[in-house]
Amino acid sequence: MLDLDVHLPAIAAGDADAFGRWIAGAEGRVRESLRPYATRVDTEAVLQETLLRVWQVAPRHVADGRPNSLVRLAIRIGRNLCIDDLRRARLAPVEDEDLDETRLETFEPRAPDPLLRKVIAHCHEKLPDKPAEVLRARLASGGAEPDETLAERLGMRINTFLQNFTRARKMLAECLEKHHVDLEAELR
Amino acid sequence: MSGNPGDDRDVLIEALAGAYRARGPLGEVRTHPAFHDLDEAGRAEAFELARRQRVMEAALDPEGLSTTARAVLTRIRGG
Repeated sequence: MLDLDVHLPAIAAGDADAFGRWIAGAEGRVRESLRPYATRVDTEAVLQETLLRVWQVAPRHVADGRPNSLVRLAIRIGRNLCIDDLRRARLAPVEDEDLDETRLETFEPRAPDPLLRKVIAHCHEKLPDKPAEVLRARLASGGAEPDETLAERLGMRINTFLQNFTRARKMLAECLEKHHVDLEAELR
Repeated sequence: MSGNPGDDRDVLIEALAGAYRARGPLGEVRTHPAFHDLDEAGRAEAFELARRQRVMEAALDPEGLSTTARAVLTRIRGG
């Protein structure tokens, strides 16, 4: 089993690159754990706040001897942030299977599939100009700038920017399908 | 946003599925404004979109990082 705790000593020592490698393996599982809350809280915001808190507490985190202890901690932090948000908004609690801690033991991070990377890169290259441009802009900004800023830089209205992004996404999905890539299967 | 309510909804979902989030006065990650403009079905759709989109982003990134990961690392590095 791939154990992302191998990055823990470097993360605890303040190595942001090591934290990036840990996020690359953990993000999907932590995001998935927020699914039960997705209609009530902004899970992207919660996920980013969770990752920031994991970075802050990592130097004090003591692994429990079982694999992926930091991922399990992240899932607990994310869930607690969601529950806090629900309480603040006076919303009812939601059903959450991850409250059963034994489910967290079944997490097995997977190494990135080089073939999948290759096919996605190929499909990306085939995109028409405008959809490719908006996709590139979001990737280059790395979530650091609002879409409005990116749209303005490209000389587009925000709606046009987002519509082009939808086109890019759909075209990529069609291209992947053509190459027999089932992204959903990759996400399981 | 536009003349067609369906288009507006799609645009809001696409916006919510993006990784950019503003910061609050204490540095906290803020909820995207589009979240409040969508119903539960729209929010669930945005969750699914984001999930798939991040996998594609990571595949296109030389270090295998999604825009969520990049946003967090930028913040950690003082950006």
